[in-house]
Amino acid sequence: MDPRAILDHEFVVAAYTITWVIQLGYLAWMGLKWRAQKRDAERLRKPSR
Amino acid sequence: MKKLLIGLYVAITVALLGWAFYQAIYVAPDESTMHEVQRIFYYHVPNAILCFLYFALSLIGSIAYLSWRQSRPDWAQAGDALALSGAEVGVVFCSVVLTTGPLWGRRAWGIWWTWDARLTTTLVLWLIYVSYLLLRRFAAGPQMQTLAAVLGIFGALDVPIVYMSNRWWRTQHPAPVFGGGPDSGIKDPKMLAAFGWNVLAWALWGFLLLALRYHVERQQQKNAALEAKAALEATSA
Repeated sequence: MDPRAILDHEFVVAAYTITWVIQLGYLAWMGLKWRAQKRDAERLRKPSR
Repeated sequence: MKKLLIGLYVAITVALLGWAFYQAIYVAPDESTMHEVQRIFYYHVPNAILCFLYFALSLIGSIAYLSWRQSRPDWAQAGDALALSGAEVGVVFCSVVLTTGPLWGRRAWGIWWTWDARLTTTLVLWLIYVSYLLLRRFAAGPQMQTLAAVLGIFGALDVPIVYMSNRWWRTQHPAPVFGGGPDSGIKDPKMLAAFGWNVLAWALWGFLLLALRYHVERQQQKNAALEAKAALEATSA
């Protein structure tokens, strides 16, 4: 196979992978933040003694 | 019912992302001069278009916050949550643009980066909104939301400059794909379809992220209000 074509393919794979890492990384970070907010909301709803 | 609709939306979005990927990798033909590396375009350009859209939503939220902060505080808080969500999702999409672009540039131009008008204005846009998020993260006090809204409005002024940069100035960046004169536009129908599917799929994905972030921020605002109320009750008791 042409080495130029192999390199082109690797760059496409890198671009698509980076896109998904950034997007899913943000989704995961938001999921953690959401969980923390829910926990805080439950703590605040409980009557203080 | 609400959960079902959300589940349906998520399922459609995931299916569309898969379909758009298939179109971009397996259906669209190789471009004649750039060959396979041109396929980066199917992720790079939709993410660029959509980052403008989310920054525009952030602008609307910032204006809403400044307009209503005295007269309708709850609406203003909703505007502020929209401004923050739009800015954050916009930064995520803009980060994709700024990483996939140099990968394409390395193969097409032989360089990772050049200080041409389109690339520089996009980097400035990203830096402005990263500053906006840092301000929101580290500034404290009642003026933080107002300062952030003002910065959000100024940041949005860079969006039309980025969009027009390769029309106003001679740039190394390729000419506009659409609306750039008689030669612009995608001629091959399969390439056009792959591009269109990716714009649609990434738009649905972006709105999902935006809605989630908005929900989280509204919850945070409610928690902060509850904490403030509890603290007030504790001091008056």
